Amino acid sequence: MYLKVAVHASMSRVIRCVFTGWVLASCSVALVHADTAAVAVQLATPSMLGKAIFFDESLSASGKTSCATCHDPAHAHAHAQSNTLAVQSGGEFHDVPGFRAVPSLRYLNLGIAFHFENDGTPIGGFNRDGRANSLLEQAERPLLAPHEMANGTHADAVARLANASYADDFRRVFGNSVFDDIDRAFFRMQFALEKYEVTDPGFHPFDSKYDYFLAGKVKLSAQELRGFSLFNRPDKGKCLGCHPSTRGSDGSSPVFTDYTYDNLGLPRNTAIAANVDPAYYDLGLCGPFRTDLAEHTDLCGAFKVPTLRNVATRQVFFHNGSFKTLTDAIRFYVRRDTNPEQFYPLDANGIAQKFNDLPAEFHKNVNTSEVPYDRHPGEAPRLSEDEIADLVVFLQTLTDGYDALSNTADPARSLTK
Amino acid sequence: MRAAFSIRPVAMAITLALALGPLPTAYAAGNDEAALRAEVAELRAQLIELKHEVQQMHAAPAAAAAAAATATTASTAPASAATLPANADAASLPGAAPMQSSILNTAASATTLYGYGEMNYTRPTKDKSATQADLARAVFGFIHAFDENTRIVSEFEWEHAVASASDQGEAEVEQLYIEHQLQPNYGLRAGLMLIPLGLLNEHHEPTNYYGVYRNFVETAIIPSTWREGGVSIYGNTEFGLNWSAGVTTGPDLSKWDPTSPEGRESPLGSIHQELQLAKARDPSVFAAANWQGIPGLTVGGGIFTGKIGQGQPGFLANHARLLLGEGHVRWQTGPFDLSALYTRGTISDTENLNLTFIGNPTPAPKAFWGGYVQGAWRAWEHDGAAIAPFVRYEEYNTAASYEAIPLGLGVDPLVTSKLWTAGVNYWLNPNVVFKADYQQFRSESDRNRFDLGIGFQF
Amino acid sequence: MQLRWLIPLGAAAALPAYHAAYAVQYMSVEQAQRAAFAQADGFVDVPLTLTETQRRALDQAEAALSISAPKIWQARTGQKNLGWLIVDQVIGKAEAISYALALDNDGKIIALDVLEYRETHGAEIRLPAWRKQFVGKTAQDSLRLDSDIRNISGATLSCRHLTDGVRRLVQLYAQVLKPTSG
Repeated sequence: MYLKVAVHASMSRVIRCVFTGWVLASCSVALVHADTAAVAVQLATPSMLGKAIFFDESLSASGKTSCATCHDPAHAHAHAQSNTLAVQSGGEFHDVPGFRAVPSLRYLNLGIAFHFENDGTPIGGFNRDGRANSLLEQAERPLLAPHEMANGTHADAVARLANASYADDFRRVFGNSVFDDIDRAFFRMQFALEKYEVTDPGFHPFDSKYDYFLAGKVKLSAQELRGFSLFNRPDKGKCLGCHPSTRGSDGSSPVFTDYTYDNLGLPRNTAIAANVDPAYYDLGLCGPFRTDLAEHTDLCGAFKVPTLRNVATRQVFFHNGSFKTLTDAIRFYVRRDTNPEQFYPLDANGIAQKFNDLPAEFHKNVNTSEVPYDRHPGEAPRLSEDEIADLVVFLQTLTDGYDALSNTADPARSLTK
Repeated sequence: MRAAFSIRPVAMAITLALALGPLPTAYAAGNDEAALRAEVAELRAQLIELKHEVQQMHAAPAAAAAAAATATTASTAPASAATLPANADAASLPGAAPMQSSILNTAASATTLYGYGEMNYTRPTKDKSATQADLARAVFGFIHAFDENTRIVSEFEWEHAVASASDQGEAEVEQLYIEHQLQPNYGLRAGLMLIPLGLLNEHHEPTNYYGVYRNFVETAIIPSTWREGGVSIYGNTEFGLNWSAGVTTGPDLSKWDPTSPEGRESPLGSIHQELQLAKARDPSVFAAANWQGIPGLTVGGGIFTGKIGQGQPGFLANHARLLLGEGHVRWQTGPFDLSALYTRGTISDTENLNLTFIGNPTPAPKAFWGGYVQGAWRAWEHDGAAIAPFVRYEEYNTAASYEAIPLGLGVDPLVTSKLWTAGVNYWLNPNVVFKADYQQFRSESDRNRFDLGIGFQF
Repeated sequence: MQLRWLIPLGAAAALPAYHAAYAVQYMSVEQAQRAAFAQADGFVDVPLTLTETQRRALDQAEAALSISAPKIWQARTGQKNLGWLIVDQVIGKAEAISYALALDNDGKIIALDVLEYRETHGAEIRLPAWRKQFVGKTAQDSLRLDSDIRNISGATLSCRHLTDGVRRLVQLYAQVLKPTSG
């Protein structure tokens, strides 16, 4: 066993001991203060610090907002059951409205950096428009954004961190003088958060009913099997086209996203404050929150394909929270083109204003060729209402924290492992 | 033809040197004048023989007639003395040739290079835009002999001309094994070797089969060129039986991709490992035999079986077993070349695995099979060139049945593909062939195509 | 076909250290001799030299020799000739096959034996049933693969070249050995 221990002692404690050793390391650790020694053992790793930061509400302008406020671990790291707002508000007084629905933070540890494939397909990235290339990069915006934790600047965020109860542990792990350099400290805050999201098994438990089914340990019910078949069938749902349901060639469990982007032509959500301005459009890959791809106009309106794990626990769906139930969300896929009047506002002539969340010149970017949203008006939708119900029941098997005895799933159960 | 050359003069010189070697010791030991004289006489005879040999090589034809007459009688005595070991019983076999093959070791090189290539052109009759020309294979290999009994056999291949991360070609090692002859009638092999099933797999050079493409049965069902890594023992008998058996790696069912059409094109072809970081938890075994006791007739068959789940953690078909069997007959009589082959494979225990593939187009099949009959007629031949029109009827099904899936959520077994191929092979010489054929499918007319091909081997 | 029994000595010089090549030896020359002529008490070496006329005759019969000069022995009981044993080589596909052809005193084939075989495939030419097809043939018989001699699937090149070799040797008998035999 290879054991590497690095221990930092505070200045006034003389001995600083760093060593690596084989098997059991019998290190003569210089004694630090007895009271901080216990805490030092607890928060000795960046991941543990990241967890402390994740739950720390003092790291916000309001003093009452932490990462966990919107990304509640008991609700698959998305917002809680009672909250059915399309987007959350933040800021010092919780009155600055947000722009996009809160995504789940689960299973992001398997994400990849944003890049273009050989055939020009954009792939990877973090945030709904992929503008962060790692969880570390992604951690910056929520800490600073005025509609979120509203720290405003690195300095403010670091100052709040320096006052936290675990600031000493932060120094122990990252160095005594870490708070002297603002950007350096902020970077290490991001680092700690990333480590927490990547190493804590509560973020990627793979303990849903579907996982047990893939392992041959549990059988799916008849309706779940029917829904599963519809999910995979190339002529029905073909959901696995973007949300793969099979094991990887290396035997890895499916994450239900291929990390690509899709433009669904969702209806404009008037509940988002920014949408009051008719000139404002959230175009995803080509803006307004990322600007490096502005000239890739064919990508305007495309948003990241998220994982479908825990999708049944969500209160709002899609980047703009335009649907409140999973059934409605799936109905949109199935009937967008056969019955657009069910989803879009009607104009003066009674014609549905399709793709009204996109400027007219980008309507052609909307995906109209993939099953199941490849229909034309008058054609039958690919799934009937019963089949949609079956599909919803199957998607419920993707919820973490499955208990075979009660045949129920609760993402909060994954946390106790 | 490769130019070979005689080292007989060299061998003679060596013999001479060796004969001279013991001379000093004989001299020291015996100092017997009579023995010495005998020795010298023998050496003189050997020298004459050697000179004679060299003269033969330089001899002008005119002198040959005279030399022939005199040499016939003159060489009798020297031959008998020179070619016997010094202590042989001279009375037993006067004039017998040497036991060993020094006559026959005419410079067979230790390393031989060989290879083959094929290029083809395909034109689907229902979709001209899919017309394609391709350098299907460029193959070379070497055989290197360490000694009389042991050698390496190798074969390397490039497919589709360009192999790189962004190209569609492949570069691969098709064979690499050591062969050791234990007795004249049996030996051992170890390494990456061809599985001896079917008529095509071991004789897959383009000059060895009729038609531009290898037949579907022996590409989709028997996945030519099928090779596995392992050890085998092979042999042949006096009455015409060639047999071999071995233990090798096998396919890896955990590679099965239910979303891809590959599994329907060739089930074993989509999960073969080709000794590429192959999972080898479950070995497979094979046994095959061919009987050729009557010249012109070949009757044979073989089986290959093994578990193919490869014991992967969490894999739902770790007990799945592949069993593939085949039987064939070929009869070459006069200008006719008739052959028939049938093969069938089964994979057991795929039910649980297929349950996780519900809705996908390509679950793992339970049974697949194929068979063909073929007739060729060598209409014309002259001095190595030949023209042979042929016709072949094939049927094959890469998913004839599946394990049962509840609720009617499984897929239907595939419809058997049936096709005729008619064409002609024109051999410029036994090593170069030009081919043309037309393939017509009974119920899949969009697969009908016209093909042209060039093939050669050396 | 070119008369190529003259061996280029340059090739001999090019050979590096003598390297034993892979060769399965099924029978030695001595064994072939004894098997064909059990009652012989001696085998006389017959060196091969050709007159210009003989060479042309062989050319015309499409039977010119190749690779290397065959070794010829005459089998004798006392002073009586029993026949000939000729040891020759042909190329199978890329490797040499050494074989022995036994002719009786009238030039009829008594036996054909494969002595050494080196190829990876095609050793089926050793099968007695295949070799028996040659027994009884003479220089008057056409010896063509597939028409007179059956082929063996998987050994086509070896069969073809061995058949060609045997045909050459019987023509050699007809043009050279028969006229000069005592």
